[in-house]
Amino acid sequence: MPYMKGEPMNDNKEMKSDAALEVSRRDFLGTIAGALSAVALVIVADDAVYIASGAEPGAPLPAGGYDPDKHSYVYVIDITKCIGCGSCVRACKAENNVPDLFFRTWIERYMVSRSGEVSVDSPKGGYDGFDPSITGDEITKAFFVPKMCNHCSHSPCVQLCPVGASYRSPDGVVLVDEKRCIGCGYCVQACPYGSRFLNPETKVASKCTWCYHRITKGMRPACVEMCPRGVRKFGDAKALHDEVSEIIATKQVHVLKPELLTEPNLHYLGLSMEVR
Amino acid sequence: MDHTKHLWRVVLILVLAGAGAIIGRHFLIPKSFGEQGFYRYDSLGDYMTQPVRHGGDAACAACHKDRADAKAGGKHATVSCESCHAPMASHATTEAKTADMPKNRDMTLCLWCHQKLRARPETMPQIEISEHLAALDPEDAKKADVCFNCHDVHNPSMK
Repeated sequence: MPYMKGEPMNDNKEMKSDAALEVSRRDFLGTIAGALSAVALVIVADDAVYIASGAEPGAPLPAGGYDPDKHSYVYVIDITKCIGCGSCVRACKAENNVPDLFFRTWIERYMVSRSGEVSVDSPKGGYDGFDPSITGDEITKAFFVPKMCNHCSHSPCVQLCPVGASYRSPDGVVLVDEKRCIGCGYCVQACPYGSRFLNPETKVASKCTWCYHRITKGMRPACVEMCPRGVRKFGDAKALHDEVSEIIATKQVHVLKPELLTEPNLHYLGLSMEVR
Repeated sequence: MDHTKHLWRVVLILVLAGAGAIIGRHFLIPKSFGEQGFYRYDSLGDYMTQPVRHGGDAACAACHKDRADAKAGGKHATVSCESCHAPMASHATTEAKTADMPKNRDMTLCLWCHQKLRARPETMPQIEISEHLAALDPEDAKKADVCFNCHDVHNPSMK
């Protein structure tokens, strides 16, 4: 070791006079430095072997050969068809173990009067359906709007996560690493669509995953699967002849809060200006 | 070179700091962090291994072909089995039945979709329950199967 080669320690009289110490300070520090360097070298070598072994980025994912780089998911909700039955809300709860009174997807009922007054309700997210009695002025238009995470291409929730727990996967799904999340709740406040919450059971942020465990197996998200009216459509922009990409390309679709430049990948057909 | 030992001290401190940084980084940063971006790539795998609970209509039809066929021919063709019953996983695993098929026989099940609501598209068949069951005794109207007495739920034309 280079630092052992210096002058003998004849200049360190204090050290020599200390009978209790059998090792000199220099030797002691040198040993520590040597040991630490050795451990560091082992780690560097270990990492080098890991990289050299062809463990390409993304290689260690489970499930038969799913490659996130070959997909780019998109979602369309056709408001004109939605009957507000709540099947999607119930399906999401069951599929993802969402705690009571928290929602990864929910349905809002908009009722607009001629004077422009807008009333919105979403009792238990639409889980138990909606109250048929109508209050207020004469309603001139009314409709249901299913809401969920917009899986934005430029999402504020990902940008501000201080620990890298919020991220957007290569296939375009905004996810939370529940093992890494510290539960600070910044992302819950940052989401302009109210799509996130702190799960009272796990104490970390939780949100719609587009049923990542399903879509990576070639299945559709539970909400899409359970929708009886074909309101919700899930597609892959990188797939050939994709129905949903075709709708986005050819129909008059809209996104929520486009002025925020978050570039949602959830598109709406038949969206009305009252929807926020 | 009287000052050599000072240089060695600096070298020692740098070596210690460098080794400490490498070791600390190794234990504090998860293995797949940063592979694809500022996140732990293995987190995708955590999500992918989550259990699937809704099996889809094809899974139901494997055992209940009669019901699936009845449904496919009627107006409930687009209604998923599990949206009225329950997620398949609670009732059956790959081969075996683990519990009875959950059945909601209450009118609330039908009214989730067919209660007349102002916000519902007019193309959807809807009823006002007081008018629809006007001929029935109010107590009878509350009983289970009140809808199924007249309608076959899997193919909901009049029986």
